Amino acid sequence: MVRKLGLLTYVARRLILLIPVVLGVSMLIFAITMCFPPTIRALLYIRNPQALTPENIEGVIKKYHLNDPFYIQYFTWLAQVLQGNLGWSQTASAPVFSAILVRFPATFEIIVFAAPVIIILGLYLGIQSAVYKDKILDHITRSAAIIGWSLPSFWFGFILMAVFYGYLGWLPPGRLTREVQHFVDSSQLFTKYTGLYILDGILNGQLAVSWDAFKHVILPATVITVIDIALIIRVARSSMLEALSKGYIITAKAKGLTQKEVINKHARRNALIPVTTISGLLVASLMTGVVITETVFGFGGLGSWAAQSAQQLDVPSVLGFAMFTAIVFVIANLIVDVLYAFIDPRIRLA
Amino acid sequence: MTTSSRWEEFKASMQPRIKEWKFMFKRVQESPLSLVGIAIILGFVILSALSPVLAPPPYADPFIIPRDEEIAKLSPLPTPPTIEHPFGTTDQHYDIYYACIWGTITAFRIGITTVMVALMIGIIIGVAAAYYGGLADEALMRFTDIIIAFPGLILAMALVIAIPTVFTLNVSFILVVIFGLTTFFAFITRARMKIKVILLIIFIAVLASVLLYPLNLRFSLNNLDKVLITLWLIGWPSYARVIRGEVLRVKNEDYIEAAKAAGTSDLGIVIKHILPNAIYPIIIMASLDIGSIVLTAAALSFLGLGAPPNYADWGQIIQRSRNWIGRELIRYMHVFLIPGIFIFVFVLGWNLLGDALRDVLDPTLRRR
Repeated sequence: MVRKLGLLTYVARRLILLIPVVLGVSMLIFAITMCFPPTIRALLYIRNPQALTPENIEGVIKKYHLNDPFYIQYFTWLAQVLQGNLGWSQTASAPVFSAILVRFPATFEIIVFAAPVIIILGLYLGIQSAVYKDKILDHITRSAAIIGWSLPSFWFGFILMAVFYGYLGWLPPGRLTREVQHFVDSSQLFTKYTGLYILDGILNGQLAVSWDAFKHVILPATVITVIDIALIIRVARSSMLEALSKGYIITAKAKGLTQKEVINKHARRNALIPVTTISGLLVASLMTGVVITETVFGFGGLGSWAAQSAQQLDVPSVLGFAMFTAIVFVIANLIVDVLYAFIDPRIRLA
Repeated sequence: MTTSSRWEEFKASMQPRIKEWKFMFKRVQESPLSLVGIAIILGFVILSALSPVLAPPPYADPFIIPRDEEIAKLSPLPTPPTIEHPFGTTDQHYDIYYACIWGTITAFRIGITTVMVALMIGIIIGVAAAYYGGLADEALMRFTDIIIAFPGLILAMALVIAIPTVFTLNVSFILVVIFGLTTFFAFITRARMKIKVILLIIFIAVLASVLLYPLNLRFSLNNLDKVLITLWLIGWPSYARVIRGEVLRVKNEDYIEAAKAAGTSDLGIVIKHILPNAIYPIIIMASLDIGSIVLTAAALSFLGLGAPPNYADWGQIIQRSRNWIGRELIRYMHVFLIPGIFIFVFVLGWNLLGDALRDVLDPTLRRR
């Protein structure tokens, strides 16, 4: 009972601490919007394409007090944001909020394939590399991690595409082959339940669609995995090294436990704790990775949309996306912290 | 005190530090990977020093890539490597060899200036937060948290498009800011300044701003400048956090109390006693970030937000390959392959050195 209460108060405290950070994020985004003239800022308040004419924009500027001092504008803007109105995206020809919702499943599809591999394989390699420190395996893993860390993701993506599509013709860019996309968009036989085409294909009994979608996901997911796995390997290795040097490991060894028991029962659990904290950082890294890899492969998700918007100076889209990622990142960190407290009682009792 | 005894004192005070450096040097020597890293970085330094010889610039601004306009008119498609263009040309016939060589200087410029400016901002904010504590600490660190709450590249994308192309600064405005900051710092550090001096400063500020009011400085920024400014603005929070921790560690040492008792001003304590004891880890950490900074800048260029199309920058050349996403990519592979190798090796050099140094510097892992 005490344990449960402790965890609950901890979660409540963390939730309250979240408010200033989220407010801060909104203020920073607002400060960035203030760099633009009122005619561009007006786009942040528009909900439909009819309002894009110059006269209507004048009306928007008047209606939302866009020539007033910044503190008045902040509250009118915040009220809009809280209603889910992030402005009009010219790149997507839709309101920013719905543009994000429509594109999110595509991006999620890549992450679903990349993240488990990154975490499980990264942990395994990092821990093995620490256990066999300065052995061949350690050297190979560390070199591979450094190489992955140094690879420009767009360059690596281009190489993979040149080989697997340009040369071998196996794994095409884009999200679906054109005919399949046409089928998915217009056929009566296909309902988009989730927007995740692999899952939708199975739900609709159209396995050909799932297979096609899967072929398109492999390369982007590979690029993200290779780039991000280095982060987990590095942290897992160093925290495992630290755990192995603790007094209780020596005690465990002195008790006569085998190497395997010492590592599995005593060292590994303690080494996992720092890795949980780094998972928050992994979310940020995935978000960034998605922007670049989706652009490389022409994969129509959130990332490529954001990149395209930035290039076309579509301010509401870029800022909406930035705010979305910041909120996701903050929530991910919250979940990590709660998990962390769940694993390690010292945290919540402190 | 005579000079020689001062020298002796200085030598004695430097003893432990020299011993530390010798130890670090020995550890670095023992690790072959870090030696490879050093060799790579030295190679790039030599390459950038020799760039006027290796690729003589045809225009006054050496960073403008030369281009065969005659051939470009005939066909805009890239040409593979020839004797005249050892690395081939991009579409519109920009010479890739020239771009790669001069791109080295661009990379160093981006990396080094970003590290220096971000470090300066980070040190000022981190030290102020830790030294003054209380409300200042809370406010500055929450601000840091907010910047960290954004994935770097995505905040950079938003900032790059937000920075205006023409930047007008009023000279009198700058003067007022400078004078204001001086007075503020004098006030904060409780320097024993007479009221007369402060009034004089204010008088000069007002006079100067009235006289100089019509003067404006106009900066026109190209996209690369915007990338630089953006990287400065988003790079500092991690340094601020680390230096804050270090200062908090040092702050309560006895020698700081002694310096306070001796009547040293706050600024004096920070500069003479706190910084020298807190700054080394962060300087090394920051300088090794050059690799990842160059990677971020290249990513921005790749997204079409970085250097202008005729500017010698590695990421910008690779970005041109986006025109042939699909089967054609393999035919024009040289366009992205060669500049990419430059970026990769450059970043690899810094990361190899950084990885080795982190092990050497981390007190929990060393001497084992």
